Amino acid sequence: MSPADLATTSDTLAWLAVVSYVVAATLFGFEFAYRTRWFGVAGVTVTVAGLAANVGAAVTRGLAVQRVPWGNMYEFSIIVGIITVTGFLVWLSRRPEIRPLGVFVLLPAVCAMALGGLVFRVPAGPLVPALNSRWIVIHVAAAITGSSVLCLASVFSILYLVKERVERRQRPPAPPLVAGAARTADRVEVDQAVARHASVWSRLPSADTLDHLAYRTTAFGFPIWTFAIIAGAIWAQAAWGRYWGWDPKETWSFISWTVFAAYLHARATAGWRGRRAAWLSIVGLATLVFNFYAVNTVIVGLHSYGGR
Amino acid sequence: MAVELRPPAARPDRPPRRPGLGDTLRQAWREYRSMRTALVLLVVLAAASILGSLFPQEGLSPQRVDQYFADHPALAPVLERLGLFDVFGSAWYMAIYLALLGALVACLVPRTRALVRVLGSRPPRGGDLARYRTQATFTTPAAPEDAMGAARRVLRRGRYRLAEHDGELAGEKGFLREAASLLFHVSLLVLLVGLAYGKGYGYRGQAAIVEGETWANARVGYDSFSPGRFFGAGDLAPFQLRLDDFSNSFYPNNTPREFASQLTALDLDGRELQAQRVAPNRPMTVEGVRIFQSDYGYVPVVRVTDAKGKELLAPQEVLTLRDPATEWSTGAVKVTNAKPQVGLELTMFTGLATAPDCPGGAPFCNDPRLIRPVLVVLAYQGDLQADRAQSVFTLDRSRLRPLGDRPVLLAPGQSRKLANGMTVSFTDLKQYSVLTLARDPGVPMVAVAAGLLLLGLVPSLYVTRRRVWVRAVPDGAGGARVELAGLALQGKPAFEAELARLAEQVARGSGGLKPGSPEDRGTLDAPERST
Repeated sequence: MSPADLATTSDTLAWLAVVSYVVAATLFGFEFAYRTRWFGVAGVTVTVAGLAANVGAAVTRGLAVQRVPWGNMYEFSIIVGIITVTGFLVWLSRRPEIRPLGVFVLLPAVCAMALGGLVFRVPAGPLVPALNSRWIVIHVAAAITGSSVLCLASVFSILYLVKERVERRQRPPAPPLVAGAARTADRVEVDQAVARHASVWSRLPSADTLDHLAYRTTAFGFPIWTFAIIAGAIWAQAAWGRYWGWDPKETWSFISWTVFAAYLHARATAGWRGRRAAWLSIVGLATLVFNFYAVNTVIVGLHSYGGR
Repeated sequence: MAVELRPPAARPDRPPRRPGLGDTLRQAWREYRSMRTALVLLVVLAAASILGSLFPQEGLSPQRVDQYFADHPALAPVLERLGLFDVFGSAWYMAIYLALLGALVACLVPRTRALVRVLGSRPPRGGDLARYRTQATFTTPAAPEDAMGAARRVLRRGRYRLAEHDGELAGEKGFLREAASLLFHVSLLVLLVGLAYGKGYGYRGQAAIVEGETWANARVGYDSFSPGRFFGAGDLAPFQLRLDDFSNSFYPNNTPREFASQLTALDLDGRELQAQRVAPNRPMTVEGVRIFQSDYGYVPVVRVTDAKGKELLAPQEVLTLRDPATEWSTGAVKVTNAKPQVGLELTMFTGLATAPDCPGGAPFCNDPRLIRPVLVVLAYQGDLQADRAQSVFTLDRSRLRPLGDRPVLLAPGQSRKLANGMTVSFTDLKQYSVLTLARDPGVPMVAVAAGLLLLGLVPSLYVTRRRVWVRAVPDGAGGARVELAGLALQGKPAFEAELARLAEQVARGSGGLKPGSPEDRGTLDAPERST
């Protein structure tokens, strides 16, 4: 196949992957809502097919451009899909009971990929000289992996907050206060309404489990992110003559690193464990998303070639 | 952290002592070195860093700071006073990270001391094992001593540090977690020290060298130069650089492929030290100075003679500014000894093409490859105001009027007459290379610190601390009843299975379970002991 054919194949496969993930997410969503095993099994099958297409899209893109397929935002988005979904499947093979959570993993991955394909798509092409280094393999791969894993951790933190709220509302009401008997009656009514609406969310794993999952995922992603920053610094030293220069991309990577470091400390600090820590993780997610989308496109810096 | 509960010392009939200044300070110090303070400072540091990316920074893009001043004349001076155009060098940013570092040191010292103390002491006794949440019990036909022997072997294999307290075996492991965490934090400190040291004693500058020329490493040779606070003028390494050749290439779609300088380093006497091809991502090191390829441009050589053939401007190398998007370059020639003075605006095309050959019906376009160089000259005459400071790349046209009504086009080697009879010759075309030179003596320190930091990070998150106690008592029928209890400081969800596995290994090691014994391995719902 010619490079042009390969590039076209890659685009087709990428969209095929997106469609598969949407279908799979829907199936997992049904399993989550209706507790029908069949949906989940079908969801896994479709996810695996989508992953195959996704990997195919990256490989053909790489062959078409004769380099690693992560040279711009569109290509990153494809890789984000692969990493998130592979991570989910690996983890599913170890803990099958988390399958219905697939909807919460696949949806962000699909959004990232679709946004990449719709907004940041660039034709297959070579890299500018500044990117021609073996460090692009190491630094960018680590950055995509680290940020994908940390985003996943934040998704668990969001789910934790949801479930924690549900659990708090479902706790038996406190003994009525002398002056608040009427209010307590209202409160029971409210609690019942909440319980009705919260019925779907109450199917999430326990808040403790989700909190633990979020922590484990962060503990996995944080060293990778640290390594990505260090690898980036080594590359910057080789390419620009300084390992750190507060370029906006560097600044935001540092901000994300600081926030997730704060999260890890928060989980060991009385008064910050639980909800506050989860919020820190969500702030971390926001910084990662901002770093990827806004810093590449809006803010002028040395990393601006990532966009269009 | 140990929580001690003691009955209040003060007698009930006397009011408690009012806290003095010492108590307040001690309390403040304790608060300062707490994890909560570190946490808040981390968040504040992150928030402060955001400001540095929202406003243009003096160190990164001074032009954009100037632009900001032009766009917001009222606001900009206020922001400047607040240090928002140099956030990472501002006093308040420094205050935040110094506070964080102080808290870090204040926390690391007692933690290191505690770790040393714990490493020097024996694992503590467990006491009443029934109090622990995680337990396992079994009965074995072996004698109690044999069962204890098996437990010792199993725990030693599991890398527990062991101690015996009359009949009770205590094991402890996972100190690597704290040690690695300390390594991580100390490395972070060392990294910052290395960063500050490198910044203070290093420098960074840019220099442009024309093909074939030799450049001396002296302060005046730099177009931009930013020394560290402690960098002395005499600290520049004595060497020269000769640009033997510059080359650049493009992909078929006209995006840049590579650009590189063939450089030779010479000592001050002109002896060759080393030669290397320097390209993006391929720097060269001379006398501890790293030399990087940054940019490049074109240098048309222009000669001007008057109507009688007298030379007004000897062949002059004209440095031009290259626009990376179109790959055409602009520059200016100032003929100050002509009367009236003449200024030439130059535009250098690498591959000029006109209407039918250009995409999208553009009247002209440029091929970035150096295939058909053309110099377009627009001439002006009048007063160049050369006594005033001005850019070498442009003319101040306020007191100039056009000379002739159309531009003059020159290929290399060609000459053309201007409207006033003067002749402009495009005698040669060279390239220049922009190099970044930097010296950062902190790099080795930072690199080692970053490596150790990474080395410490993983165990500090994954190693888990455990304490296990084993006791074996005669079951009254020749066998032994073995009790295991444990305490996990981290990774609690996995610990139950871990202890069960240990119990199984001890049972296997001491001759299996006693046949017919009520094997009540599992957990009791006793409250976890707080330490």
